[in-house]
Amino acid sequence: MTKTTWKNLTAGLALGAAAVLGSVTGAKAEDTIKVGILHSLSGTMAISETTLKDVMLMLIDEQNKKGGLLGKKLEAVVVDPASNWPLFAEKAKELLEVQKVAAVFGCWTSVSRKSVLPVFEQDNGILFYPVQYEGEESQRNVFYTGAAPNQQAIPAVDYLMANEKVERWVLAGTDYVYPRTTNKILEAYLKAKGVKPEDIMINYTPFGHSDWQTIVADIKKFGSAGKKTAVVSTINGDANVPFYKELGNQGIKATDIPVVAFSVGEEELAGLDTAPLVGHLAAWNYFMSIDTPENKAFIDQWHAFIKNDKRTSNDPMEAHYIGFNMWVKAVEKAGTTDPDAVIDALIGVSVPNLTGGYSTMMPNHHITKPVLIGEIMDDGQFDTVWKTAGLVPGDAWSDFLEGSKDLISDWRKPMSCGNFNVVTGKCGGAGE
Amino acid sequence: MIARKLAGQQHSLALLVVAGLLGLAALIVVLHLALPADSAFYISSYAVALIGKYLCFALLALAVDLVWGYVGILSLGHGAFFALGGYAMGMYLMRQIGTRGVYGDPILPDFMVFLNWKELPWYWFGFDQFWFAFIMIMAAPGLLAFVFGYLAFRSRVTGVYLSIITQAMTFALLLAFFRNDMGFGGNNGLTDFKDLLGFSLAEDATRAGLLFASAVVLALGFIACWAIAHSRLGKVLVAIRDAESRTRFIGYRVEQYKVLIFTLSAIMAGVAGALYVPQVSIINPSEFAPTNSIEAVVWVAVGGRGTLFGAILGGILVNFGKTLLTNALPELWLFALGGLFIVVTLFMPKGLVGTAPAALAWVKGRLHRAKPGPARPSEAGE
Amino acid sequence: MRLLASLLFAVGLILAAAPARAEITADAAAKLASGDYDKIIVGIELVANSGDPRAIAIIQALSDGKLLAGRGDTLTIEESDGTLSDAVTGAALDAKPAEAKAIRLNNKVRRSLAAMLGRLNLIDADPARRRAAAEAVFKSRDKDSLAAIDAALAKEQDSGVRLSLAAAHAAIILTDSTTGDADKVAAVAVIAERGGQDAKGLLASLSDLSPQVQAAVTDAIGIIDTNLLAWSAVQAVYYGISLGSVLLLAAIGLAITFGVMGVINMAHGEMVMLGAYTTFVVQEVIRQNIPGLFDYSLIFAVPLAFLVAGAVGMAIERTMIRFLYGRPLETLLMTFGLSLMLQQAIRTLFGASNREVGNPSWMSGSFDLGGLSLTYSRLYIILFAIAVFVALMLVLKRTALGLQMRAVTQNRRMAASMGIRTNWVDSFTFGIGSGVAGIAGVALSQIDNVSPNLGQGYIIDSFMVVVFGGVGNLWGTLVGALSLGIVNKLLEPFAGAVLGKIIVLVVLVLFIQRRPRGLFPIKGRFVDS
Repeated sequence: MTKTTWKNLTAGLALGAAAVLGSVTGAKAEDTIKVGILHSLSGTMAISETTLKDVMLMLIDEQNKKGGLLGKKLEAVVVDPASNWPLFAEKAKELLEVQKVAAVFGCWTSVSRKSVLPVFEQDNGILFYPVQYEGEESQRNVFYTGAAPNQQAIPAVDYLMANEKVERWVLAGTDYVYPRTTNKILEAYLKAKGVKPEDIMINYTPFGHSDWQTIVADIKKFGSAGKKTAVVSTINGDANVPFYKELGNQGIKATDIPVVAFSVGEEELAGLDTAPLVGHLAAWNYFMSIDTPENKAFIDQWHAFIKNDKRTSNDPMEAHYIGFNMWVKAVEKAGTTDPDAVIDALIGVSVPNLTGGYSTMMPNHHITKPVLIGEIMDDGQFDTVWKTAGLVPGDAWSDFLEGSKDLISDWRKPMSCGNFNVVTGKCGGAGE
Repeated sequence: MIARKLAGQQHSLALLVVAGLLGLAALIVVLHLALPADSAFYISSYAVALIGKYLCFALLALAVDLVWGYVGILSLGHGAFFALGGYAMGMYLMRQIGTRGVYGDPILPDFMVFLNWKELPWYWFGFDQFWFAFIMIMAAPGLLAFVFGYLAFRSRVTGVYLSIITQAMTFALLLAFFRNDMGFGGNNGLTDFKDLLGFSLAEDATRAGLLFASAVVLALGFIACWAIAHSRLGKVLVAIRDAESRTRFIGYRVEQYKVLIFTLSAIMAGVAGALYVPQVSIINPSEFAPTNSIEAVVWVAVGGRGTLFGAILGGILVNFGKTLLTNALPELWLFALGGLFIVVTLFMPKGLVGTAPAALAWVKGRLHRAKPGPARPSEAGE
Repeated sequence: MRLLASLLFAVGLILAAAPARAEITADAAAKLASGDYDKIIVGIELVANSGDPRAIAIIQALSDGKLLAGRGDTLTIEESDGTLSDAVTGAALDAKPAEAKAIRLNNKVRRSLAAMLGRLNLIDADPARRRAAAEAVFKSRDKDSLAAIDAALAKEQDSGVRLSLAAAHAAIILTDSTTGDADKVAAVAVIAERGGQDAKGLLASLSDLSPQVQAAVTDAIGIIDTNLLAWSAVQAVYYGISLGSVLLLAAIGLAITFGVMGVINMAHGEMVMLGAYTTFVVQEVIRQNIPGLFDYSLIFAVPLAFLVAGAVGMAIERTMIRFLYGRPLETLLMTFGLSLMLQQAIRTLFGASNREVGNPSWMSGSFDLGGLSLTYSRLYIILFAIAVFVALMLVLKRTALGLQMRAVTQNRRMAASMGIRTNWVDSFTFGIGSGVAGIAGVALSQIDNVSPNLGQGYIIDSFMVVVFGGVGNLWGTLVGALSLGIVNKLLEPFAGAVLGKIIVLVVLVLFIQRRPRGLFPIKGRFVDS
């Protein structure tokens, strides 16, 4: 091998490095306001997240038709973190440091949010997180527009207790942090309601679990103890199809053992024949079937934008709708996109949601939402059978977990703390 | 005579690689820290994080190349060693958080607090000390590789069988680490790191330092591999790669050599993982995914199997391409990566480093219409 | 006939209890149309007890979601073919009344509907319906149905239906606090005889019993439990066989390409995926053009999936793999790249989300065999796996191609010297292996997600099955798949699904490290070459 070839290779390498630098120190246009979209467009999470990217593009488009924001046009910056968690942090950094976006809408899984948290803290960005999650977090730079456990899980259990007289509970979930936490909270809640430990069965399965024979048979067995039994399912996305297929095939009807799910929405049902599942339940803050003028307008807009009138809408889409409108309103209120000003302005902002009410950003960076219980219909939609009387404010720290029952979050001055301990009177958890 | 000349030339090549690596890293660090952000030559912290990550991948590629290129062991489980090293580092970083976690628990990491763990599992003890974590970074993957290799090589599991069981190993670990009951944070893994050896990870200087440390370790790894490849040991290894039975019949204890190199390579991968984690600030079970390990193999194949510089080059280039493509054309990335596998195995079995000189010579020959000198392809293990 | 029967029954009901006139009152209609679930339930009872001959039709329509309520509490039945009729009078209608919308139900309403339908259908002409009705009453334990049950029991001829009726009778007796102890003890015996989980559930739910009855109940539960325990062991083995047959299907194509040809095909999982997507396309075409044939869709899908995956497999072999024979590690890498590209191609073509592949009606549901509840889909997959295995065995052992395949495996050069076109044989072997993977995809589409990632989930398991069973040995693959399936399912109740799988994987790795050639190694000189 000759020296010249080595030189050539190193030259190529240097060229490549220069390209990185070029791409990262690139153009800075100041005549638009940039909005970052951080959703996976490839990999395992693309199934769920691609839709959210499209919704954001639509919302930005609509805002621009209305004349933009602060007299400037909005510009969407889309990146693909490819369902790879370290890549989420890398892309978040790119959005904040290179593209200098004013706000980021993104993430789906908890781990992706955890991965980008330090970046948003460090670069003082704003993240709107649109998915229901396990709670136990309140960060200054993040606004949680999805449901906290008290906005989904607890009302669902209340509904089953009151309306279906359920006394025996199967808590079935995929083995990751959201089901683990939710089930811990539910377990504590049920015990507080007088449910005996032997009437609670907890089961965890891996991601993408496909052979449900044993577990469904176990559920059947557990349900034959003479008390009305229900399954609370925090089973994640992909594993649901074989789960429901097995339920249907083994003849577990909703009238015998109802299953209430927190992660099954219209998108998931689209891959299923729902006829055997009629009557099984889901708890969300939004259903596509909600009959309000706002929702109708939103769905029409969505169908026109995506050029396919068969596409469904779902809860995280509504969360982005709410989050985006809140951000727009807060920027208008603050008169600037400066993160500190907008973060302060966001608290208290109130915008219409799609279920016929208003959602408000709370001081703990969670929002108020109605909780709906829907039953699966044979057309793949949900029929709302129950709705909370008013709006439920999201609770960042659960009252049913030992570590967090004394914590509150309030980002208004002078407290400005995400984990204030009311017992010790200090910010920073249980410290010392 | 020719051999000696070649050897001398290779010495200088190795020196060039090491010097180039360290020089570039130093330059990047200086440009990043010393220049103001609006300077044309300023390197953003985003780029620093990227380059630091590439260097860790290059070290992993080097580790894969050592076993695959020199001993012919195609490990589809090196991602597991990488991840184990990463977890060891992650556990140290978790313990460093102390009372700064959201619950302020001085001992337990946050994920244990909210899942109602009462005390630290035994295997977390000691990780508050860096020296212990440092040992574990090498010991955990090393020990696994030693046991696994000892069992496999002793029974003469070779070729594709070995590849398949290494893949099964990393898959089993993936499932295991996903379990929240394991006490490694389940799917969320370990995050929210604050500082390393007292340096805040949020500081630019720390990150630049990590990049430089990665470059230094990569250079050390390169020197170590180079030394092995050019020693008598290296010749035995190549003999094992090319004719295992014959080497055994000559009297070499093949399995001992294999176990040694496999373990060494696993340790290198573990160190790469340990450097990677503080730079990307998360470690999660998906690092165990079999796909990651196979991807590492393709970096080596692209750069040039059995050429140490090729492995480094492949690790950096393919990941650089990934960064560019996932930005510009996300849908195309998998096509590109898949295509790379096919093109490299079918048309460039020697990778870039092996193929480039021949191609260049051919091009030169066409351009200059010079005396047709035979293009000499590089030997494996330059 | 049915109408007449229900009419007779209605008359009987009136004589028995109800003072109500035999017609559906405006009040009942208003309740049904109210939109309030509790009122709807009252309305259902009013209708059921009205004795009106239209009652069954109305309740059935409500249960099927075909009952529309319009302005002024009009009730309309809309059949699935679009014909409309007035629910109360049965008169045909030309247009929907104003604001007519299907009445919405919730689970509570559905339960009440099932109970009422059960009561009304007890004297249906069809024994299956009578039995279903009796089972519905068994579940609802509706006291008001006792008279109807006893009336039905008195003239029932079919022994199966009699058993169900007796169980329903016993269930009502047991849950009614006013019945005497002797009756209850007799009822407990009937329920214990019935056995099974729902019987146990019923007995376990009883409370406030006299000591005598309580003792009988405790005994009965003990008997049922012993029975269930024995069956649950059988059940675990059955589930294991079922899982094993899925593994066998996924792995058997690999056993051909890897075992017979020594080619590591990492894109094998994608061949399975192609088969599943072929099923999806076939079903879509049938749904849109000839919906009546939907139940036969899988029969069309199997050969098509074989052809599609087989053709893709042969194309891959001809254009790429044949250049890499003798370099298994390179083949492995190349086919991995191929698998990425195939996944992305499918993702681009069909989208990233899951596609709906329906179960034909003959594959839905379950039936009881002793204490086992067997689902048809799983049962057919077991049978299908056996059929595929036998067919492959026949091809290998009884055809000229099979003979040539074995010859090439054992000694390629000599086979070539004997005039076998080894290239051609390679191509076909690979085609068959891939085609069988495609067939597996048809079966897997019935129980798993049809998504671009489908194949990924099976590839490692398939390799483990083939290596564990012994490369180059189809019987080994069969034994390997079944034993892995059964061990997995036996471990699952104790270790949980995840840990069970990890244990199996670790044991497998250790086993292969001890015996690299698997359970049934092929012996001979050619093995090492």
